[in-house]
Amino acid sequence: MLGKRTWVENGLLAAAIFVVVAFCLFPFVQILSTSLKHQFDWGNPSLIPVKLNWNAYGELLGIRSAEQVDVPDSVKRLLENPSISESQRRKILDRYQTTSDVFPFLRYFLNTFMLSASAAAVSLCLSVFGAYALSRLRFTGQTVIQRSILFVYMVGGVLLMVPLYQMSVKIGLAKSVGGSLVSLLLIYIIQTLPVSLYMLGNYFRTIPYALEEAAAMDGCSRVEAVFVIIIPLSVPMLMTVFVYCFIIAWNEFLFASVFLKQFHQWHTLPLALQTLFMSKNAIWDRIMAASMLTMIPVVVCFLFAMRNLTGGLAEGGVKE
Amino acid sequence: MAGIRLENINKKFGKTEVLHQVNLEIGDGEFVVLVGPSGCGKSTLLRLVAGLEDITAGNIFIGDALMNRIEPQHRNIAMVFQNYALYPHKNVRENIIFGLKRAHAPKDVIESRLSKVVNILGLEDFLARKPAQLSGGQRQRVAMGRALVRDAKVFLFDEPLSNLDAKLRNQMRSEIRRIHREYQTTSVYVTHDQVEAMTLGERVVVIRDGYIEQQGTPMEIYLHPDNIFVATFIGAPSMNILDARLFDGYVELEGCKLVMENGTPGQHRELPKTGLPVKLGIRPDFFIDRRHAGDGEALAVIHNARIDLIEPLGFDKELDVQIGSQLMKVRLDLRTQATEGDTIDLCVDMRRTHLFDIDTGQRLQ
Ligand SMILES: Nc1ncnc2c1ncn2[C@@H]1O[C@H](COP(=O)(O)OP(=O)(O)OP(=O)(O)O)[C@@H](O)[C@H]1O
Ligand SMILES: [Mg+2]
Repeated sequence: MLGKRTWVENGLLAAAIFVVVAFCLFPFVQILSTSLKHQFDWGNPSLIPVKLNWNAYGELLGIRSAEQVDVPDSVKRLLENPSISESQRRKILDRYQTTSDVFPFLRYFLNTFMLSASAAAVSLCLSVFGAYALSRLRFTGQTVIQRSILFVYMVGGVLLMVPLYQMSVKIGLAKSVGGSLVSLLLIYIIQTLPVSLYMLGNYFRTIPYALEEAAAMDGCSRVEAVFVIIIPLSVPMLMTVFVYCFIIAWNEFLFASVFLKQFHQWHTLPLALQTLFMSKNAIWDRIMAASMLTMIPVVVCFLFAMRNLTGGLAEGGVKE
Repeated sequence: MAGIRLENINKKFGKTEVLHQVNLEIGDGEFVVLVGPSGCGKSTLLRLVAGLEDITAGNIFIGDALMNRIEPQHRNIAMVFQNYALYPHKNVRENIIFGLKRAHAPKDVIESRLSKVVNILGLEDFLARKPAQLSGGQRQRVAMGRALVRDAKVFLFDEPLSNLDAKLRNQMRSEIRRIHREYQTTSVYVTHDQVEAMTLGERVVVIRDGYIEQQGTPMEIYLHPDNIFVATFIGAPSMNILDARLFDGYVELEGCKLVMENGTPGQHRELPKTGLPVKLGIRPDFFIDRRHAGDGEALAVIHNARIDLIEPLGFDKELDVQIGSQLMKVRLDLRTQATEGDTIDLCVDMRRTHLFDIDTGQRLQ
């Protein structure tokens, strides 16, 4: 069969692939396109902006100051109502005219980055040793532990949100910013651990145990062997796991929205995006630009992970 | 350096017992070869000494220290693995010096030992390569190098030459002998190749199914095998085991009366009138064509052996010969003129033959 396709079949195949890829990519192209359009262009179905508009990106990245939002006509009419006192009027106007809370993108970016990176780092460290134990050691209760880890993964999410929040309130973590961040960190770690353990465990099983025995003969203890043999041989998989954890934490909305509700300064990007959508600053190009900027690290991570997914590092060590 | 003492070693994997009551003492600086068929427990025994497997029962001593609970990394043993077990992410050089580096050996010591080993093993051109870029034989040599470079108390070799071609294997065999002569490190060498066992070992230990069948110098084992298994396992082509009957002073083989000069073994027994059924073991190499037999020696003669097949091997000819209903291998030198289908009279020195019990396979004393 191999290599026997006619050009018609080839063409059809290519077309099919194109359709699928285009279908998947369309939303992203739409985001990119809208983020670069001027207001007058928004209704235009064409994906290519009439005139490029970098303002939204500029604002978000703090390169240029935010544009004031025009006070909508309905509000203007409301303000003309004489029954509204001067102070009330100013308050309403203020809400529309201050630009300080437009979208401090860099701040949110840093919040999210720190949270995701530390969650991923801790998760990785724990899963290296956890996965090693599960794949190499024999101990009582091993099967139970192994099963329950995957069970945690299957339950996850919404079901646990309320109890987890209650717990952190009860032990006083939810009161402070630090406590809330720690709770969130713990949750991300716990959420990503099962898959990390699973991925790493399976990878470790492909590394011949004889290599560790050889290391023992050369004077390494078990833990040292993990550092000099297992970890160097697993670098691509470690990176993949790190990226996986990072992306999960980066995109997480549900728990962050509950735990960080009161701490605006510490919002993460998904939260901030949500706030932006709901606010009077919700201008299309700004929303789309913010979405774009939120997405970029994920894409970069992903490409990075792809490059590292070339296996075969452990080959050639033992006779098959 | 130190000797090794195994006392009543038992090893079970789950319910299957792989080694049974093994007792073995290996002297300081001795080179011992463990030999036996595949699956008899050679690697397991080696791994027990290395500490890579836990013993089920018994004691292991290295020097005078009890090793049962000592972690492998603290036993100061260098081992060549049957499957190489090279570090795939390190190049040849790093693979070889890894152990020395872990032991914090000084730089100049590392360098001098490395260059020596590399030289002996012919690895100069491969130092910068990763294991995946080497052939099987080259990998095996790296595995050897990684052990030989170490200043260990004990060397353990698990079939270290199995992947080399005949020429390289011969060469490495002599190198191993030379290295051992120089360093005098206690060594245990596993092989299923009986030529290797004969040429390398100061002492050979024959193992079958987890039992030590016999141990001794190569020549002792070759000339005085304790039982049929050892007799046929050591020596190539392997010993002929023939059905015969033992009478007082002679053995009757297919109608030929083979007189024994130094008396009947098992004399203390009552021999039945019709003779005692025994197994007669004769090595193919110990036959002599009657035409070329010297006069002085007292040789027994097997008459009218029919030649089925002749394989010329250069200096020797290997013959498949039929006597009565039994087949045997015979090795004669190139003077023999007989051709296939001929009959031939073969002489044999009965002092070089062995009688085994027909049931137990043990040699008759
Ligand atoms: N981890 C294990 N679990 C169960 N059985 C094992 C294990 N390791 C070895 N065995 C069994 O123990 C016996 C001895 O194995 P061992 O590897 O010592 O043989 P060997 O003499 O080295 O053979 P070879 O010459 O083929 O290498 C074999 O029957 C094998 O099936
Ligand atoms: Mg073996």
